[in-house]
Amino acid sequence: MSRVGVFVCHCGTNIAQTVDVERVAEAAKSFPGVVYSSTYKYMCSEPGQAMIKETIEKENLDRIVICSCTPRMHEVTFRKMLKGTKINPYQLEIANIREQCSWVHTDKEKATEKAINLARMSVAKVLLNEPLHTSSIPITKRALVIGGGIAGIQAALDIADAGHEVVLVEKESSIGGKMAMLDKTFPTLDCSACISTPKMVDVSQHPNITLMTSSEIESVGGYVGNFDVTIRQKAKYVNHDICTGCGLCETKCPTKVISEFNQGLAKRPAIGKMYAQAVPAKPVIDPNACRKLIDGKCGLCAKLCPLGCINFEDEDKLVTEKFGAIVVATGYQLIEWGELYPEYGGGKYKDVITGLQFERLVNASGPSEGHILRPSDNTEPKTIVIIKCVGSRDPKKGKSYCSRACCMYGAKHAHQILDKIPGAKVVTFYIDVRTPGKNYEEFYDNTRHDGAIYVRGRVSKIYEEDGKLICLGEDSLLARKVAVKADMVVLETAMVPAVGIRELAGMLGIAVDNHGWVTEAHPKLRPVETQTGGVFLCGVCQGPKDIPDTVAQAGAAASKVIGLLNKDSMETSPMISKVDESKCAGCGFCVKMCPYKAITLEDIDVRQGPKTVKKTVAKINGGLCQGCGACNVACRTGCIELLGFKNNQILEEVDSLCL
Amino acid sequence: MINEIKNACLKAFESGEVGYIIGWQATRFADKTTPLFMRSAEDVEKLVWNKYCVNSTAKYALEDKYPEKKIGIILRGCDSRAVARMISDKQLKRENLYLIGVVCDGKEDPICATCSHKTPVIYDVLIGQPTTEEISPERFAEVEKIAAMTPDERYNYWAVQYDKCIRCYACRNVCPACNCVECYADQYRTGWQGKAHNRAENQVYGLTRAYHVGDRCIECGQCERVCPMNLPIMSQTRKMLKDINDLFGPTECGLTIEEAPVLGEYDLNDREEFM
Repeated sequence: MSRVGVFVCHCGTNIAQTVDVERVAEAAKSFPGVVYSSTYKYMCSEPGQAMIKETIEKENLDRIVICSCTPRMHEVTFRKMLKGTKINPYQLEIANIREQCSWVHTDKEKATEKAINLARMSVAKVLLNEPLHTSSIPITKRALVIGGGIAGIQAALDIADAGHEVVLVEKESSIGGKMAMLDKTFPTLDCSACISTPKMVDVSQHPNITLMTSSEIESVGGYVGNFDVTIRQKAKYVNHDICTGCGLCETKCPTKVISEFNQGLAKRPAIGKMYAQAVPAKPVIDPNACRKLIDGKCGLCAKLCPLGCINFEDEDKLVTEKFGAIVVATGYQLIEWGELYPEYGGGKYKDVITGLQFERLVNASGPSEGHILRPSDNTEPKTIVIIKCVGSRDPKKGKSYCSRACCMYGAKHAHQILDKIPGAKVVTFYIDVRTPGKNYEEFYDNTRHDGAIYVRGRVSKIYEEDGKLICLGEDSLLARKVAVKADMVVLETAMVPAVGIRELAGMLGIAVDNHGWVTEAHPKLRPVETQTGGVFLCGVCQGPKDIPDTVAQAGAAASKVIGLLNKDSMETSPMISKVDESKCAGCGFCVKMCPYKAITLEDIDVRQGPKTVKKTVAKINGGLCQGCGACNVACRTGCIELLGFKNNQILEEVDSLCL
Repeated sequence: MINEIKNACLKAFESGEVGYIIGWQATRFADKTTPLFMRSAEDVEKLVWNKYCVNSTAKYALEDKYPEKKIGIILRGCDSRAVARMISDKQLKRENLYLIGVVCDGKEDPICATCSHKTPVIYDVLIGQPTTEEISPERFAEVEKIAAMTPDERYNYWAVQYDKCIRCYACRNVCPACNCVECYADQYRTGWQGKAHNRAENQVYGLTRAYHVGDRCIECGQCERVCPMNLPIMSQTRKMLKDINDLFGPTECGLTIEEAPVLGEYDLNDREEFM
């Protein structure tokens, strides 16, 4: 006969104020199997735990129910406590009488009744709980960082500095990401390149970091501690082992195409580095632009190269490597505003540019060498309109969220214009000005002192008249229409997730929200982890943020990775799915349902009359299974059960309440 | 046509690859046939092909999942969809089957009036001329009739039906989408399905059955044909098919051997209006 102990927590007054805990404990005494019940002010505290342990000994309990807060809070705590006792840590049930009872009710009578019922259900379930045992899996002490922007760079450096091998994969030909495009960074106006390029060089020289540029993730298999990742190294057509990066090829290449790095404001050769400070500082050929690769003509670079690095026969290579942890740092891109905002010209006015284009214009290494010039005629604009929230905070046309960094870089742009163009006029249209960061508000204040005019309202239309861009808008504070004759308009456009994030998330078995931002395991308590064990995130791929937050998050993700890789093996949760092979029909519906790719079909030998035949059954990979239970629902036979939440346990809970 | 089918059977036996062939044979009643298992060329004589060949030949193959030789099956359109369904459910292996498809002429069964696939969708040999076919406008007529009722009327309608149900499970046994090793309704320890014979338990059975097969129903109508109490069972699965059609676009099940159950697949781009 089972001997159940019920422990009801007051949680200070959190529970006791709304639930009569004494009555709950008293009622629990009458539940089948219960031999002991009591209350305590804080069960999770040291004396609380000591009291439980003592009672287990004294009353010879073999399973316990704790009526307290959500199991997400302290289930782990109490399991740990049980490790030192004779009770298996999984012979424990938590009845959530705080979040699901005292916090959401006001009527003490009814709340107490509900708490008694919650306790009754937990007791019914715990009677069917079986002892479960963790197993351990070995850990490959290598990390993969996907994305070579500032987030990926910082994470890679931190992990590598801790002594673990890191592979940093970047889809472009150079690391650096968006930060490398920026001119100065708010609020201190440090030069972006001056603070990011040394880190890029550190990456390339770090003995623990292998850099794979022009590379993308092809497939991901395995599970925490033991991922098998196939990486596609795209053809570079230049042998980087012998190339010295002399740059002769790029100066002589006759083909010029639009430069993505300069946001379409300049041209680049078909062979070359992404930008002057690129890491690795070696050129690649763009197969979509190179005449030799398109129609077999030219080949000038190959003739000129003194070391014979050029190889037009180069092909993509697939490499498969093992990793223990993966960091997703895929960053963002700017929203394609053209189609969404035809009222701003939809891209037909050359002098309506995005914030990132402005960064290139104002950047000393940009196409105009830092002079702010109109793209249309290379003259200096005198009146500049800045429009914020283009695509952000606009659920009808763009995105519902705030892109967070735009208010500040908008202020920075205004500051830079006023600084560089004497007598310039800057009019910034805004919805709200959001400056919640250290020294941010002061920076915004200074910009207004510098003379930037802030108008609260949206611009409804931009049209061209006599070489000027007429911006019609509304000043909603003064309730009057505004028209500004501008020479140039800067749109501070919304951040959206990088292309391909959904495919990558699918490969990694991690979730993205409806915008495509990667979902963290818990918004507050597990902000850099994903729902999949061993996969971490940092930077804007999780949601818009500025550089300080990105770098902080990268460090946090790195520390999680280091914590994982410092272990030789790790415990797996025993609360995973289990297949009853005798009932399994091998239909494979569970395989399709599993978001973690933890289920495969496998042939097993079974006796069928006088012969042995191969029967197909579902097989769970204990390392990958996260215990979500999706497969349980997909299985019509009910032959997959989640240990710790077996069908009979849940039915028993329901029966105890309803019957 | 019967001679062509017989010739195809003889040829199959001649090849030596086929262990037995499933078809239909006459009974002592002129308007009834019964399944026939031909084990050699001599048995082929017994084969009949007439408007009373209403039994589905497909599901018997499930009884023999590990055959020594190929299982021959004579298929009408609906039987072929049943086979396709069972192959995509990984219950049968295509290489274990020899499929003699016959373009159906419609049988003495009400369901045949709304048939949209008289020509088999998979086969090794095809007998008869393929016909052009389209989905019957009457496909969801019954569903719409029930949907038009008020909730109370609808409840009463089904209450009457499930008061009749004797839970013989014939609808399950005949259904090609019902292919579990052990049906949930037969599991006695879990308590999914109460064994008492009353309206509530009967309704639980009806609902669960509909949900278990609804997104894979090939609309062969065998469930209604075998129901001894004449329950309009198809209108439940067709209700689900109609909803699936409305939500995800035109859907018919069992047309290829590689289709996923609509409600059994997880896709990031799925509609999630309820979220």
